[in-house]
Amino acid sequence: MNILEMKNISKTFGGAKALIDVHFEVEDGEIHALLGENGAGKSTLMNILTGVVQSDSGTIKFAEKWYPHPTILEMEHAGIAFVHQELNVVNDLTVFENIFLNKEFKNKLGLLDKKRMIAETNELVEKLGVEIDPNVMVSELKTSEKQLLEISRALHEDAKLLILDEPTTALSQKEVDHLFGILRRLKKQGKSFIFISHKMPEVLEISDRYTVLRNGEYITCGQIKGATPHEITSYMVGEQYIDKDIYEPRKLGDEIIKLNKFSGHGFEDVDLTVKKGEIIAFTGLAGSGASECMQTMFGVLPATAGTISVNGKMIQGSISSFMKNSIAMLPSNRKENSVIPDMDILENTYIAEHTLSKNKPIISKKNETKKYENLKEMLWIKAQNAEDPINSLSGGNQQKVFLARWLNTEAKVLLFDNPTQGVDVGAKAEIYRLILEFANQGKTVIINTLEIPEIKKVSDRCVVFYEGKVQTILNHDEINEHDVMLYSTNAINIGGQKDAV
Amino acid sequence: MQSKKKTTNKVAGAGKFIKEAWSKYSFIFVFVIVLIVYVFTIQANGNTFRWGHIAAILSSQNTVIVGTIALGMALVIITGQIDLSVGSALVLCSGVTIMVFNMTNSILITLLAALAIGAVCGAINGVLAGFAKMPPFIVTLGTMLIYRSLALAYVREIDPAVTGSSSSQFALLSDNSNYDFLRMQFGTGKLAGVNIPYITFVFVFVMLLFLLISKNTKYGKSVYATGSNEKATRLAGVKVQWIKVSVFIITGILVGLASFIQACKIGNVTPASSGKSYEMYAIAAVVLGGVSMAGGRGNLLGVFFGALSYTTINFIIVSIPSLSTDIQDTFQGLVLILVILVQTVGPVIKERAQDIMKRSKSRKMQLQ
Repeated sequence: MNILEMKNISKTFGGAKALIDVHFEVEDGEIHALLGENGAGKSTLMNILTGVVQSDSGTIKFAEKWYPHPTILEMEHAGIAFVHQELNVVNDLTVFENIFLNKEFKNKLGLLDKKRMIAETNELVEKLGVEIDPNVMVSELKTSEKQLLEISRALHEDAKLLILDEPTTALSQKEVDHLFGILRRLKKQGKSFIFISHKMPEVLEISDRYTVLRNGEYITCGQIKGATPHEITSYMVGEQYIDKDIYEPRKLGDEIIKLNKFSGHGFEDVDLTVKKGEIIAFTGLAGSGASECMQTMFGVLPATAGTISVNGKMIQGSISSFMKNSIAMLPSNRKENSVIPDMDILENTYIAEHTLSKNKPIISKKNETKKYENLKEMLWIKAQNAEDPINSLSGGNQQKVFLARWLNTEAKVLLFDNPTQGVDVGAKAEIYRLILEFANQGKTVIINTLEIPEIKKVSDRCVVFYEGKVQTILNHDEINEHDVMLYSTNAINIGGQKDAV
Repeated sequence: MQSKKKTTNKVAGAGKFIKEAWSKYSFIFVFVIVLIVYVFTIQANGNTFRWGHIAAILSSQNTVIVGTIALGMALVIITGQIDLSVGSALVLCSGVTIMVFNMTNSILITLLAALAIGAVCGAINGVLAGFAKMPPFIVTLGTMLIYRSLALAYVREIDPAVTGSSSSQFALLSDNSNYDFLRMQFGTGKLAGVNIPYITFVFVFVMLLFLLISKNTKYGKSVYATGSNEKATRLAGVKVQWIKVSVFIITGILVGLASFIQACKIGNVTPASSGKSYEMYAIAAVVLGGVSMAGGRGNLLGVFFGALSYTTINFIIVSIPSLSTDIQDTFQGLVLILVILVQTVGPVIKERAQDIMKRSKSRKMQLQ
């Protein structure tokens, strides 16, 4: 019997269709994997289910009851719990205080009945088969224990259906095994789970059935038993995505960057040589270490072992010493890491260049404006006045201003960390056009992106990360969505087959 | 028809100009409003407003000494920090400045010593807040106690021939040959004709210098950027920790300069009472000058007008005969809260109003 039935769910954000006529069903006591690439519509579907967003059309039936306009509170009471990727626990409270947050037991005097709460917490934790002291501060727990705490809180609220969003990204293999043991036990007790993960081996190990979404559409639903990683991956990426290929082979120059056993927080032993004018793509799912590797190549995070050299010269130290050696990095998460909100467009364009030209402390606004106008033309920045606030521009145009910020430093190596995040389709295409143009001018470009179709469009080689290590390096001809997915989910090592090219 | 359109355009243009001027130079409007109120209170007291009143504002301790300190305070606040130690540091610096003059009788050495001891006071704050990453509020609260108590303790211990006074004061020795120049000609002297003290011109010069630094140098831009988005600024290669330390050192140097001016103007300093609450006055001038307490925004020209406004508000309060001196601080506090209220609540109200306008517009469109 189905505990959850979502039918004909559609949702439009602005003009973009996030979900089109999607079906999704979960049976009593099953673990159901919800699969799809980034942007496939998984989060929107879950947000609709938990009442965070309202669907435009469609029906939701949960535990034999209809929910025409679900709200967050209603769905919580109905017995749906969302265990988020970024855990929702209060670090400064103890374990039992977290479980009883806002639902505290009180004694006759109206004071907190700690004894009863602790006893009940012990009972809960025992049910899970784990050892967590109810009196310990949550900040002292390991990530895996925090996750279990969140699951036990859901159980305490008598949840019937738990949504686990990428629950294994921060866990070691041993912790994953432990978690899966607990999930199996809870399943036997009749709990149902929606399991969202990008890691194919885990999906195959723990789930009973799967549903695949692609570009907001329902693709298929099937039994895990008998399904192959190859088959599921094909459903996820669909027919080979065909777009106007703007890639052209170029003549590459001499070696410019060399990583030797390069290691840091979240990645290790990266060996890579990059030639002048080359475009390299880093890719990997969240937590794979690709972004961390890129940030360490710019001195944002410290390297723990190994070396990076540019033009044969080893570099270490602060960000500015990397900048002095002709490296630039456009960071991910534009709003947090790039936008200086109180400054105008011109000031935002020059903040990086100023750190390199400190020996001339006084600003020549005339020269800067002139140079900015050139960059504006070259990058097609749609802005009226150089003195307008940066936040008057759209996301795509802001991103181009930050491109200008780094082009201003005359860097020869450009690192782009997820450059098309939160940028509309048109601006996206322009950014990729520019990346090719930079390479033609002899600049070296490394892009870290999760959007696999885009890798194919521009890169000469693609470095795939999985759990902190380089899984493989694919040449341009070998890059296709299917294979990159196989490598980045590690499906390749459990029998997934490569596409015949 | 056409001419009507033109005039509405003109009106709209003028409206836009006033709107822009208001948001950019609101501190001048604040000063003008305060000044108008002052003119009324003077006339209510049966006097006529004269140039002498303006000259008095320009030569007040609250304009020159607090204003000089407030320039540094503004830089500290723009980086998102705070310095509560400036009043105490002023006393300590003044003590040292006076003793150095008493011992050396050299104007140059005295000035350099004042700037140096100020820089040291600021550097201690800066290193603890910027490099050791302690909250600046706590660090400077601590040094606020330390700096004043050092001055208090040593004034009694040191030979009166050096402190220049037998009581618990530091005083310039009038026997020194340069005393007359320092105190009589420079410290209290005025430019004939306009009746404005030389030290006010020093303050204005320093203000213009720092205005230039903040607007036209790469260092100045990185100070604003650090306060606006520290993370993004760091990722652009700016050494934000050093920026955060440097503004404390600059503030210290300005406190040193203020202590030199104060010694010349008054001739002595009493550790128990001098410079008390100056950190609050400086913050008040900064806030009245339109600098955002959240960091990242503010104009040092505003700090100049903020200092003038603060002085004038004091003059207004003092000139109301029915107010007892005990209640004066209440009014100062109220004015300050009012200004911050306008600064923080104003944009929120504006946003709400725009939201409501938008909604009613879209509703009208739907009706059509």
